[in-house]
Amino acid sequence: MSRINCRRVAALLLIVGLVVMPIRVAGQASTKNRAPARSTMKATETSPTKDVVSLPSTKNGEWPHYTGDLAGTRYSPLDQINAENFNKLEVAWRFKTDNLGTRPEYKLEGTPLMVKGMLYATAGTRRSVVALKADTGELVWVHAEFEGQRAVNAPRQLSGRGLSYWTDGKEERILYVTTGYRLIALDAKTGNRVPSFGKDGVVDLKVGVVHGTGQQIDLEKGDAGLHSTPVVVNDVVIVGMAMKEGMTVVTHDNAKGQVRAFDVRTGKLLWAFNTIPRPGEFGNDTWLDNSWAINGNTGVWTQISVDEELGLVYLPVESPTSDFYGGHRPGNNLFGESLVCVDLKTGKRKWHFQIVHHPIWDYDLSSVPILADINVNGKAIKAVALPSKEAFLYVFDRVTGEPVWPIEERPVPKGDVPGEWYSPTQPFPTKPPAYARQAITEDDLIDFTPELRAQAKKNIEGFKNGPMFNPPVLSKIGGPLAALTIGTLNGGTNWPGGGYDPETHTVYVPASNASVAPIGLIEPPAGFSDIRYVSGRAGQPFRVSEGPGYGSAADFPQPTRRAEPAAPSASSAAAAAPAGGAVGSTNVQGLPIVKPPYGTLTAINLDKGEIVWQVPHGDTPDVVRNHPLLRGMNIPKTGQNGPVGLVVTKTLVIMGDPQVTTTPEHPRGAMLRAYDKATGKQVGAVYMPAPQSGSPMTYMLNGKQYIVVAISGGAYSGEYVAFALPTIDERGSSK
Amino acid sequence: MTSKIKGSLRIAAVAIFVFVIIEAIHSTPRAQETSRPSRSVWDGVYTEGQAKRGEALYSRECARCHGSDLAGADEVPPLSGPGFLANWEGLTMDDLSERVRVSMPPNKQGKLTRQEIVDILSYVLGFNKFPGGNGELEPKPESLKQIRIEATKPNQK
Repeated sequence: MSRINCRRVAALLLIVGLVVMPIRVAGQASTKNRAPARSTMKATETSPTKDVVSLPSTKNGEWPHYTGDLAGTRYSPLDQINAENFNKLEVAWRFKTDNLGTRPEYKLEGTPLMVKGMLYATAGTRRSVVALKADTGELVWVHAEFEGQRAVNAPRQLSGRGLSYWTDGKEERILYVTTGYRLIALDAKTGNRVPSFGKDGVVDLKVGVVHGTGQQIDLEKGDAGLHSTPVVVNDVVIVGMAMKEGMTVVTHDNAKGQVRAFDVRTGKLLWAFNTIPRPGEFGNDTWLDNSWAINGNTGVWTQISVDEELGLVYLPVESPTSDFYGGHRPGNNLFGESLVCVDLKTGKRKWHFQIVHHPIWDYDLSSVPILADINVNGKAIKAVALPSKEAFLYVFDRVTGEPVWPIEERPVPKGDVPGEWYSPTQPFPTKPPAYARQAITEDDLIDFTPELRAQAKKNIEGFKNGPMFNPPVLSKIGGPLAALTIGTLNGGTNWPGGGYDPETHTVYVPASNASVAPIGLIEPPAGFSDIRYVSGRAGQPFRVSEGPGYGSAADFPQPTRRAEPAAPSASSAAAAAPAGGAVGSTNVQGLPIVKPPYGTLTAINLDKGEIVWQVPHGDTPDVVRNHPLLRGMNIPKTGQNGPVGLVVTKTLVIMGDPQVTTTPEHPRGAMLRAYDKATGKQVGAVYMPAPQSGSPMTYMLNGKQYIVVAISGGAYSGEYVAFALPTIDERGSSK
Repeated sequence: MTSKIKGSLRIAAVAIFVFVIIEAIHSTPRAQETSRPSRSVWDGVYTEGQAKRGEALYSRECARCHGSDLAGADEVPPLSGPGFLANWEGLTMDDLSERVRVSMPPNKQGKLTRQEIVDILSYVLGFNKFPGGNGELEPKPESLKQIRIEATKPNQK
């Protein structure tokens, strides 16, 4: 009897514990202690003509869109922080995000907005929205949504990249997509939902998402989400869609991607663009054997850009199901891995360009398309430039879709995976040249010493190597274990995208140059999937590739007390691979198998289609600097591999390190670096305790320029850090 | 002891546990160190037997994502090799243990006891060729904080 009572009490206490917490946070969420008077923007030297004053803009020193503006440039004309004073930057404020959720987040990827003195951002495992005073970082309000299983099942569980701002000059709204894929409209002044938008401030984005030939997905478990931001243009809010990682899918009949536009005032659906065309729609015939009906994905998970004047929207579409096996979808599979231009008012396709036919490399389209007004051989062109994982910058006339420089269809290798369909050719831009590795040649292998080179050559014997578009192989213990690729999954430019200087017509693009990715296929374990092959390696236990932030959603139930530690079962753990590297290993004595640079920053002039400069970005990693086999060697700065984004200002390109290092110059940490945008020369660097995990932004308030960057990783949980110059200018006294 | 007393003790224990777990979840792992740890992972900070226990736990709780080769994958950080060492160099075993306790395994946070976590970390150390020793890696934070993670053997620097 007492036992039963005990259990009841225990259960009760746990329930109390679990229920009390949300109430506490909810209480916080309803806080309305907004400052009575908002700091208003002071006009700066860079203030523009008066006609844009009413609308928020980078020209006013604000940062009203995720990428600064709708053109995806990440450009701000501010110049208070410059080459001379960058090293004097101080931390103006910090905002730690641990308590925005039930557990800390270790991968904070957001870029805040700044409008009229207020900074807005998403953060924490709850993906809460915060409003902070932009000069001090003081919390003004926080909004949280409690979504239960919907968030737990979500394909994208991190705090997301951020949010969007809308105003009609009087009313101000914040729009964001929750972990559970609901579009929320908040009153920017209070953080409360706007009741007149959708249903009590919410549009359920899973409603209308289908699989198969049009079957609605499950609202709780269905595979749809988003962690990029909605895009707000005029009175329209445009929303993309993401699914779970596509390497080990449980079905090829996944949810079908679509891009939708809603009325920003009412939440009413204005249009939807099907990224997998239905019968009768353009491109449906590129899904042979009616395969459009049994495939999904083809989402738009990265940022969308808009030319407001032309009324055109640019959609970077990802891979169809699945990433490495397309045997269930013969044909080119439009609009998989295509740049699609649609009409802002109707969502109707204007033009498209398929970057990769019949995608089987997970190239996706990872970066925001950059809108650039350029001048080629005396001809003015409204262009769109697309950075990519494969390290080509694809440049088109954004009105017509014509390539600015010829893009040639060239033959590519054909694979022999049973059931797979191969495109005989793929598009190759003739200009600009590739800005990072696209394949691994012998010359790319590590060459610090002849012994390391020899070991690297031995290691890759287990793989089928080849040029770009080296197709995946069935993994076999006797070899090949996988197809050796680089510039695929995590190569080149990923979600942070690039940036653009509208004055000099230069694109700045970061790249991971050492993301070596062996791609092997295996049959899925019995009952796991209806797809014929999934990603894996022969001889190794099958591993499910989970999506970003998997298992970190705040709504996952808090752990309950475990009765007793489970006895470790007798294990059959596979034999450890020698740390020194071996056949099938992509490192050699703990070092990257490719030679430096491991990560780069490149400037590409869009009038000429040429690389202006390229520099390694990031300190030489500790493992290289401290490696016993490399002692005494003089190794030039290698840069670091990893996805980081940048901000472009009047004179600088600013970007942080993707990895931590401990060097004679600084304790364990990462540096936020400033480059002279004309030459690529590093002109300054400030210390951060953790790597950059979200792209920086900049703004001006009360005569002071700030740079805010999201940092996190390893043991360091998510934090927004704001840098500014010291209030007291020491120039007079010290120099 | 009567069952009644036992019962109230249990209630008290559960109440304390609920409190502790709420506090624990809201506490922040501390990456910053105040004093320099006295030992490093090169000083034989775990035993082979402990690593063996950890291996079994690893294959059950961690290998599904981090892999039997500890190499990680797309979104999963590696637990061996240069990537792993670069991520943790200069921190302590307490930082690593806390990160596991707070966030791992995904959707099962809190499932592993502190003892199980240090057993798994012993396996990870062994896999990365850090030498074993005579004493086990203890789960106490004050003890783990004394052990520095260094990619390179100190005398080889």
